[in-house]
Amino acid sequence: MNHPPQPLLEASDICIAYGGHQVVHDVSLAVAPGEVISLIGPSGAGKSSFLRSINWLEPPCSGTLTFDGSTFRGLRDGGVSKRQLQGLRRSIGMVFQQFNLFPHLSALENVVLAQVHALGRSKAEARERALQELHHVGLGEVTDKLPSKCSGGQQQRIAIARALALDPQVMLFDEPTSALDPEYAMDVLVTMRRLADEGMTMLVVTHEMHFAAEVADRVVFMAEGRVVEEGPAAALIRDPQHERTQKFLAAVKGR
Amino acid sequence: MTVMEHLQALAGGIGTTVTLTLAAFGVGAVAGFPLALARRSSQWWLRLPALAVIEVLRAIPPLVWLFIVFYVIGADFPLMTPFQAAVAGLGLIAAAYLAEIYRAGLDAVPDGQWEAASATGIGTLTTYRKVVLPQAALIVVPPAATYLIALLKDSAVASVVGTTDITFLAFQEARVTLEGFEVFVIAAALYLALSAPVALVARTADRLISRRLGL
Repeated sequence: MNHPPQPLLEASDICIAYGGHQVVHDVSLAVAPGEVISLIGPSGAGKSSFLRSINWLEPPCSGTLTFDGSTFRGLRDGGVSKRQLQGLRRSIGMVFQQFNLFPHLSALENVVLAQVHALGRSKAEARERALQELHHVGLGEVTDKLPSKCSGGQQQRIAIARALALDPQVMLFDEPTSALDPEYAMDVLVTMRRLADEGMTMLVVTHEMHFAAEVADRVVFMAEGRVVEEGPAAALIRDPQHERTQKFLAAVKGR
Repeated sequence: MTVMEHLQALAGGIGTTVTLTLAAFGVGAVAGFPLALARRSSQWWLRLPALAVIEVLRAIPPLVWLFIVFYVIGADFPLMTPFQAAVAGLGLIAAAYLAEIYRAGLDAVPDGQWEAASATGIGTLTTYRKVVLPQAALIVVPPAATYLIALLKDSAVASVVGTTDITFLAFQEARVTLEGFEVFVIAAALYLALSAPVALVARTADRLISRRLGL
């Protein structure tokens, strides 16, 4: 997808700091509807922090985010209200490295909870939708199980279903397969690829270069809190231009 | 005197000991909750007073604290019976201990749970009600049950302000019969018999909870 006129989401000059130590410097990114973007780079590059600033889990100290006609300003530029935040988060799905499922609730209840309490759906409607989403990620059979009784791959797909049930306009994935055995990672990657094929707008922090090359439209390479290089996925991974990107990709491919 | 006779003399205190313990625990379980929330608050004007109250209540020996409640506070409320004073005094101490237990339980719920909840756009109150408290409540059961046993034993100090519990009656019986050793061994056995089922519940709960939360 090449530069359509109206981005769905636009982050401008995002800065993130922890206790005076800046980890993300002036990162900007425009995301078109339906676009799949992979964020890659060495650990500590600020990829996850940047991703988490998009739904304000990591409030940026400065910079702005424009999404769905609203502008969200970093802490130093005025910040955002609680109500604004809830609206933003309801429209953006998030999948975490450690799944973060609710351990006291069954798979189905995990997917039902936010539908009822964030979107105000009826219990029956939410249940119906949850079953649908669980089937969608290939988990029709685990609906009544607790997360601890499911494999890692199943847990992560439950987490994806939990996010999808809220009809997000964008899905954020924070190293969704890093905590998984390769076999289970594949199940999750297949699910993500299908989502991408269905037209979901996705931002994916990942170390899976195959996924980045094959599924993403665009790859953004970050190092030391800055965007070093970005471009069409396959081309950037095959033929990186920047020395820092070349070094990183050589190391990753050599593994 | 036979064992049966001693036992009969002490039996009248069992109800008082149990009621006193449960009432004080109840006071603590309720009062400890806002105290725990205040202790975890990001606002210093809530956090620091809560911290002070908790530390003071835990630092003073229950015996001394009970005398203070009974003589000082009790003087302003002449209608307060020894039993009520003991419930109030031990209940406040229980609130301090249970607040710390609650706090540990709340802290034990991983940050990822808060993140996952807020990422779906559900509010803070709902997150507490539906995500954090159900998990914290399970985590809290074993230490709270352990504390209940400790409180059962501490309740013996109420005898010094005249609450007619097991220990109070044991003192009386020992003075009258001059068989202090036998009497107090029986009193000890009674406390043991009361605490055993609680310990059993605590252990079972601990196992079930670990399984349930996949810890």
